[in-house]
Amino acid sequence: MSAAEKMSRRDEMETLLPFYLNGSLEGAELEAIEEWLANDPAAMAALGEAEAEFSGTAAANEQIRPPADALSRFAKALDAEAGPARAPAGRSWLAQAFGRLTAMPAGVAWAAAAALLALVVVQSFDQPGGKGGDFEIAGAEDDLAKMPFALVKFKPEAKMADIATFLDQNGLKIAGGPAADGVFRIAIAAETEADYKKLLGLIAAQPFADAVIEGRKPASGG
Amino acid sequence: MNLFGSIGDRADRSQAARPAMTAATETDRALVDRVAKGDRAAVRLLFMRHHARVYRFVARQTGSEMMADDIANEVFLELWRQAPGFEGRSEVSTWLLGIARFKALSLLRKKKEDWIDDDDAAQVPDSADTPEVATMKEDKGAALRRFVDALPEEHRVVIDLAYYHGQSVTEIGEVLSIPVATVKTRMFYARKKLGEALKAAGYDRGWP
Repeated sequence: MSAAEKMSRRDEMETLLPFYLNGSLEGAELEAIEEWLANDPAAMAALGEAEAEFSGTAAANEQIRPPADALSRFAKALDAEAGPARAPAGRSWLAQAFGRLTAMPAGVAWAAAAALLALVVVQSFDQPGGKGGDFEIAGAEDDLAKMPFALVKFKPEAKMADIATFLDQNGLKIAGGPAADGVFRIAIAAETEADYKKLLGLIAAQPFADAVIEGRKPASGG
Repeated sequence: MNLFGSIGDRADRSQAARPAMTAATETDRALVDRVAKGDRAAVRLLFMRHHARVYRFVARQTGSEMMADDIANEVFLELWRQAPGFEGRSEVSTWLLGIARFKALSLLRKKKEDWIDDDDAAQVPDSADTPEVATMKEDKGAALRRFVDALPEEHRVVIDLAYYHGQSVTEIGEVLSIPVATVKTRMFYARKKLGEALKAAGYDRGWP
């Protein structure tokens, strides 16, 4: 073996040493380096040098300390996330579309919501109910002409996920919108005016609500 | 001293880390499956397992712990969002480092150096001393740490990924989106530069 070939082999082995040390080497390269370590007197010293680099790099990394409150802050951020559509197989395209919608910032999602709501009207004959996994969209089966409603404008920075959760928890449905000024028509399944006003107050108290305007109240008093 | 015995001991020691890592990764994949089904507790477990390494990886790349904090959080939120699409073609740790790398480079392009605040600047190695003077004040281990830190980013990152993150040549290629041959070339030059720096500081290790 010439001096040049020997140097080339040494270079190759020195390049592979870090991967030998981290245990990721396999096959022919692992055999080659073990053969080199067994037969070249310089190899063991080289391995010792690589071990020193290994320790030095580990020490340089571990002197960086992540913040102690990282997990709690992450958990809070995670709670604000709707995440992608995760319904069981067979979930409708409509539900999946709304699932994706809830993952968007509200400001971005409004335009998509408007387009999707238009599709709900068209598709409601084929997909009765239009019920998604994240919140419910009023469909053809709801007698919208008779349902009480309120007009609600959400803050631009509001998270669709928060809104979806809130609507779902309170039996509210988006019945229409957004209008040009970003106002949604929210169907409210209240039987009495007292219930209606209570729900209106609840909507208005949400941090994502910008404005709430009374619409049609329940027909019966209360 | 039995040379073969010594090599065997070293090989056993080095190879021992890998099976343990593989076993942990299988659990990682099981956790990602749970995340894909909407299990938030599984994300938190993955966060606890991998956050420190992701954080350090980004901090080393950007030189900013503030950036590392933001990006590491984003990486795990991305895990939550993308878990249903994870096909398991790479290890979860490799996948996370790849996301971190992409996000760090994107943010660096946007923010450039002005992100480095006073606190972070305090971590940048002090250049007041020449390398020779600085080396006289420290032992070989400390000098080595400083030389690793002083490597160009494209070289230091392969050193970090191999030595600290335990990544294979192929995995480093995935994280950095470069061919395997390029990983090896960068590793060769990184180690060559370390050797030259050590030699200049009076620690001749016989190569290069």
